[in-house]
Amino acid sequence: MELIVSLIMVPCVAALLMLVVRGDKARDVLCIAFAAAIAVLSIAFAVQYTGAGVLYFDLPMQYSHFLAVVNIIIDVTVGMYVVCYSIRYRRLLPLVLAIGQILTTLWFEYNIQREVQFESQMRVDSLGVVMVLIIGIIGTGICVYALGYMKDFQTHHADQKDRRPWFFAIMFAFLSAMYNIVLSDNMCWMYTAWEVTTLCSFLLIGFTKTEEAINNAFRQIVMNMLGGLAFQMAILWLGLHGQSRLFSVFIETAANGAADPGVASLFALPVALLAFAGMTKAAQMPFHTWLLGAMVAPTPTSALLHSSTMVKAGCFLLIKLAPAFLVYPVAATMTVLVGGITFCIASFMAISQTNAKRVLAYSTIANLGLIVACAGVGTPEAVWAAIFLVIFHAVAKSLLFLCVGTAEHHIGSRDIEDMDGLFERMPRLARFMMLGIMAMFVAPFGMLVSKWATLASFASSGEVLLIVLLAFGSAATFMFWGKWLGKLAGIAAHEDNVEHTVHKSEWFAIVLMAVLTASCCICMPMLSAAFVQPFLASTYGMVSAAISADNMMIMSVIATAVVVVLFGTLGVVKSKRKKVVPVYLAGATVDSDARLFKGSMGGSVKATSRNWYMNDIFGEKVLDKPTTVVCAIVMVAGLVLSVLCSQAGLFCNAPSLLMYLPVASMGGGILQTLFGIIAFAIFGPVVGCLLAGVDRKLSARMQGRVGPPLLQPYYDVRKLIEKDDVSVNTVEGTYVTFALVLTVVGGGVFFAGGNFLLCVFLITLAALFFIVAAYSARSPYAEVGADRETLQVMAYEPAVLFVAVCMFLALGTFDVAGVTQVGVPMVAVCLPAFIALMFILTIKLRKSPFDLSYSHHAHQELVKGVTTEMSGRTLAKVEVMHWCETALFLGWVAMFFVWDNPASIVVALAVAAFAFFLEIFIDNNFARVKWQKCLKWAWAVALVCGLVNIAGLVIAMVA
Amino acid sequence: MSNVSKSPWVIHYDGSSCNGCDIEVLAALSPLYDAERFGVVNTGNPKHADIFLVTGSVNAQNIDVVREIYNQMVEPKVVVACGICACSGGIFHDCYNVIGGVDKAIPVDVYAPGCAIRPETIIDAVVEGIGVLEQKRAALEAQRKGA
Repeated sequence: MELIVSLIMVPCVAALLMLVVRGDKARDVLCIAFAAAIAVLSIAFAVQYTGAGVLYFDLPMQYSHFLAVVNIIIDVTVGMYVVCYSIRYRRLLPLVLAIGQILTTLWFEYNIQREVQFESQMRVDSLGVVMVLIIGIIGTGICVYALGYMKDFQTHHADQKDRRPWFFAIMFAFLSAMYNIVLSDNMCWMYTAWEVTTLCSFLLIGFTKTEEAINNAFRQIVMNMLGGLAFQMAILWLGLHGQSRLFSVFIETAANGAADPGVASLFALPVALLAFAGMTKAAQMPFHTWLLGAMVAPTPTSALLHSSTMVKAGCFLLIKLAPAFLVYPVAATMTVLVGGITFCIASFMAISQTNAKRVLAYSTIANLGLIVACAGVGTPEAVWAAIFLVIFHAVAKSLLFLCVGTAEHHIGSRDIEDMDGLFERMPRLARFMMLGIMAMFVAPFGMLVSKWATLASFASSGEVLLIVLLAFGSAATFMFWGKWLGKLAGIAAHEDNVEHTVHKSEWFAIVLMAVLTASCCICMPMLSAAFVQPFLASTYGMVSAAISADNMMIMSVIATAVVVVLFGTLGVVKSKRKKVVPVYLAGATVDSDARLFKGSMGGSVKATSRNWYMNDIFGEKVLDKPTTVVCAIVMVAGLVLSVLCSQAGLFCNAPSLLMYLPVASMGGGILQTLFGIIAFAIFGPVVGCLLAGVDRKLSARMQGRVGPPLLQPYYDVRKLIEKDDVSVNTVEGTYVTFALVLTVVGGGVFFAGGNFLLCVFLITLAALFFIVAAYSARSPYAEVGADRETLQVMAYEPAVLFVAVCMFLALGTFDVAGVTQVGVPMVAVCLPAFIALMFILTIKLRKSPFDLSYSHHAHQELVKGVTTEMSGRTLAKVEVMHWCETALFLGWVAMFFVWDNPASIVVALAVAAFAFFLEIFIDNNFARVKWQKCLKWAWAVALVCGLVNIAGLVIAMVA
Repeated sequence: MSNVSKSPWVIHYDGSSCNGCDIEVLAALSPLYDAERFGVVNTGNPKHADIFLVTGSVNAQNIDVVREIYNQMVEPKVVVACGICACSGGIFHDCYNVIGGVDKAIPVDVYAPGCAIRPETIIDAVVEGIGVLEQKRAALEAQRKGA
């Protein structure tokens, strides 16, 4: 109990002291001391309460009245503050909302609440522990970071008054309020803290007092006060109907609604209202604009709002509500729809952004959407995924914000285009940023693993629409992170290192976040066992994880490897063995490092390239308005229907979930996977090599030629290995080697009968490292190739995910071994998915008409796109990687034709052979298309086939 | 024969040719002659290529380009001068801007004359080049072992 009180009070004291202290030095010392104290308290709290189950804390009754008064005073003060600001800046809407809130609070307090003893209860469960750790470590880390950042900020804005005491005071007050939200069980306290966070972020956003900042601050407060009002209405409704205002009791009673229609109609409205409140705070569309507007604030503010506090309060509330969503279909549907649509569209819009902070903001909105959708689904697996999303998003996103903030102060821009060559200018920072970006979107890092769990949970509950939104949103995620990563990875020699002026406090915070990001990913199985599963056990009475422990272990190993690959190259400036050569500029180089070439009109020209932003497809102008309208309609409809529910008892007995099919695990364990990897490492290249030989021979025959010997690809690779060892930079070879290893591991997982999704994600990671290798060369040709490769990944990703989901719905497992357990081949029920796979196979094998990034034919790709700068051994590795990929992808095709009869292997092999022949035929008979067509066709086929197949399977299962 | 001779990848550069030889080079790579039988692939990228086919003479405009492409090729590598202009400057040898054959810019390993050069000659020259390539590979390997 003392711990809880000190967790809440220490930041308050810190805030007050911050206001008083004026000197830079004193502030540094004080801030670091308090941050350390809070972090230590949080860890002590975690140590004490981890594994302790659910604990309740009652305050002695004599404090009860006193605390109630304090509560009201804070409430009214917050309201009055907003009223004052509204009058000062002449804003009507916040004024009305604030006065409304004050009046409601007072009325409620004196008419209903006074007869009830104010039960000052605190409640601690595993989710609370997780949140305390997030706030206590990440939140305080950001406060430390802010010390250095705000010094630079003050230097950059020398004309402004030094209001740093104020800034730090609000930061600490914020932490206190957050602790209050996650630990209180009393809804009145929660509401008060909720409003305090709203006010704090209002003050932080408006910190610079520019017109834009003030406008955005008011937008924020209007939106969040709407949510606050909804929260208040929920409390009011409970009060009016004589229900308990303890949150745990509320959830428990509400979850009983399935059995009792009376309860169901009583609780339908407050559940929907609280869901609405949570979604405003979690910046779901149409309320996403406040989070975008919050970007005007100094970067530590954005980091704090986005990662550990504010938006996470909304997520926390929704995750707590998850069991209730299982019972209230209207509120659940509203939450799920808004979350899903927000995820997909915010990811799309992130593609079109050049401002790094705006990309981060959209990605935050998207990920929050995913968390919201998971909470809305409400199954244990979904909640498992949601909690992991919260954890990983908090660490990775704060890392990214801190990196962008530091980069901004040192390169003078937050535009992604200006981060070109950051790898040389700020070598350590760029690698941290790359780690952060990778942590956001690729396996083996947490966000992707959580996304995997999300997909599994959506599939197991038959959420067809959500699966579709998730698949397309994830594909877009790959695009916008991948191209940013590429910008960072570019290596230009002779750039000045501008890193040494970064403040120590900033380094400390960045390294802390990076270590947290990496260690959370590596320790994921432990996190699951220590925090997430106890929460599920206490909430649902059952333990469930969407991903098996074996697969998490594999992910851990690979996460370690990625960290090694990224940071292992840090000290390597010049390798003795490798000769570093200039990039290819069509033989007309003037200065290779500056990418200057002799222009055809004389004089030197600079080769420049920009990321793809695709504004005409994914721009805000195209997508923002319609989505906002749709989400607003969903929210209004949800609330109106909830009112109808509670009045007329509508939908009381409708189940929230269409179906529930638990994920079965059939993989043979780590040993079998290891065996598979070794086997694939030997046979994959052999089979792939022969296939490549057959490809060339058949192509030659189709063109009326004899063609090369069958083993020609082998000779080519042997020759490449014998060539001299040169490279355009020291890291390219490492990246390609790692990509090859990942492909082999992915293939091994597949052929050992392991998880299909794991295989897909490993292949995607391999593709990413291949792309990063190309980007690292900073060659204009390789960059075009890499851009196109990224686009191709985005084009085929949804179809692959749909194949995985269909497989699960047909077999009840994501494990490939499942195909041998059923009596009919998978294709019998998954024909549309098979067609989609066949379509994207052309893209995956880089065959004409979709050989955009790379082609074996000179007539299509003269300088070989993505591999332009790779030579000798590196190119040999790329070739071997293609062989393995070919073998693996044909394995995916064959998988559709295997069933429990051993003879089916022959059928499957025949089908794979025919599919390969078909690919060669298509390759030789179609001309390359533009990238727009590639994307459009691939997505259209995926959408139609995926939707038809998944919906069909779900309907069949429900019926 | 080592693997180098089984997989000679070529790159073709047109110096200041009248295009006669260029058409013949492409003709030699066409299905009729099917150079891929011998593993020949036209790469278009110096970093991937083993054999450099140059047509036309070297002049003030292109001498740097020829040199740079040559330099960007990875050892072992071979240069084949295709056509009489590439060998010696041909009928353009005394033009005001012509410097001469390709050997004025880079070391040439095989001279293949003709105006225009015949596809058979090109294939013959490439096969000849493969022999040189083989020697250079052996030399490189010896150097590697020595180092």
